[in-house]
Amino acid sequence: MIDPHHVLPPEDMSNEAIVRRLTEQANVRIQNGQLKKKKLVWLELTGCSGNIISLMNGFNPNLEYMLTLMVDLVYSNSLMAAEGEEAIERLMSVLDEEFILAVEGAVATKNNGLYNVIGRWRGKPFTALQAAKMLGEKASHVIAVGACAVDGGPSAAKPNLAECVGLSDIVKRPMIKLPGCPCHPDWFLGTLAHLLMNGVPELDNMDRPLLFYSTLIHDRCPRRPFFDKGIFAKTLGEPTCLFKLGCRGPVTRVDCPTRKWDGYVNWPIGASTCIGCSQFGFPDKMGPFISYDITRE
Amino acid sequence: MNENELELVRRQIQLTFDEIQYLIRMLYSTKDYHTKNLTLNQLWNKVSLLHFLTNMLDQQQISSTVTPTLPQPSQPAPPSHMNQTTPQTVPQNLPTITREQLANATGRNGNPAYVAVGGIVYDVTNNKAWSAASHFGLPAGKDLTAEFASCHAGQQWILSTLKPVGRLV
Repeated sequence: MIDPHHVLPPEDMSNEAIVRRLTEQANVRIQNGQLKKKKLVWLELTGCSGNIISLMNGFNPNLEYMLTLMVDLVYSNSLMAAEGEEAIERLMSVLDEEFILAVEGAVATKNNGLYNVIGRWRGKPFTALQAAKMLGEKASHVIAVGACAVDGGPSAAKPNLAECVGLSDIVKRPMIKLPGCPCHPDWFLGTLAHLLMNGVPELDNMDRPLLFYSTLIHDRCPRRPFFDKGIFAKTLGEPTCLFKLGCRGPVTRVDCPTRKWDGYVNWPIGASTCIGCSQFGFPDKMGPFISYDITRE
Repeated sequence: MNENELELVRRQIQLTFDEIQYLIRMLYSTKDYHTKNLTLNQLWNKVSLLHFLTNMLDQQQISSTVTPTLPQPSQPAPPSHMNQTTPQTVPQNLPTITREQLANATGRNGNPAYVAVGGIVYDVTNNKAWSAASHFGLPAGKDLTAEFASCHAGQQWILSTLKPVGRLV
């Protein structure tokens, strides 16, 4: 019943300590030649580039570690030096090799994908739809990063003019889903590291790694005692439970309360409600984000 | 859990207490804001771990088939006899609620938040899955029988966690 591999105290079980142990373990395996860098393609489809920006804010490990030690980043339109057809050329070059595909952004499907052209290939527009299909089929593993890639997210919010859908509607294959708007750098880097070192992490029935998505925000919320006593904030500035203002912590499963953001300093509920950005159906099904006329008993 | 495993859990509880004391001492000695934040966060983790471990010991006394690998759901788990889609036993003497009354129970401006499923009206005013009197884009004050069937098929036990307040007429 107790896993013999569990690290029992007095070894430190904090996030930072676990990362430190894993990093050391990875470094040893890289030096022994047991771990080989794999190729990574990061596709930005229909979205706001928020996930790649969030990734650059990673600390444990950071972007530099990822780029130099974990993977060979073949393509990322935000980070690579190449541009135009030369960049698309690099993207195509990976098709015959083994690579991991990370996708952020939804897939725009209207007019055969013409609502989002991500480059030009042999003089013709190369659409996000084409890219998703072409690379999604060939990749060794696919990771859908952020709300848009997972199930359309804000890109597919009403009225959804470009008819955006999540990646899994276009690419029919097993994939790891990392919902969040944006995805926390640790969620992506941790999943990537697990993939490289130990294979696909354990997933829940909606393909999210249990590693990060198993806890209800409400269950670990520092404002939880106020909920249990029925003390609800009337305005955002109050330190009590934000449930009556529209907090979606009770329906959102992810580790924000213990992980926190921006270098583990703060998180949405530190200042306002949870808007359920890591829940399927965000944002349309998570609204209204704030309401002031909700009945309190 | 056998005696050895119980002993392991007890030892872990003891160690967690030691760590908590250490973290509290550290809080007193550090002036750095970020370290303080991290330490508080770790304290929170430790307390949660303690909570988990003591729960595990408690449940051990009730049943011997506990699987503590996943966090405990905060939603009451479905009682085994309710796993089937048997109709719920609802109190017989519920008052009747008209569709107009239901439509007014939007959970706003002092009105309670009611939803109807299968002819029974439930109060979700303070239900945690109904913050801002809405649930995954569905507002309160409506008959949600079809929506419940499409999203919670085979999860009739959810209804037993809600407070029935009337019959829809």
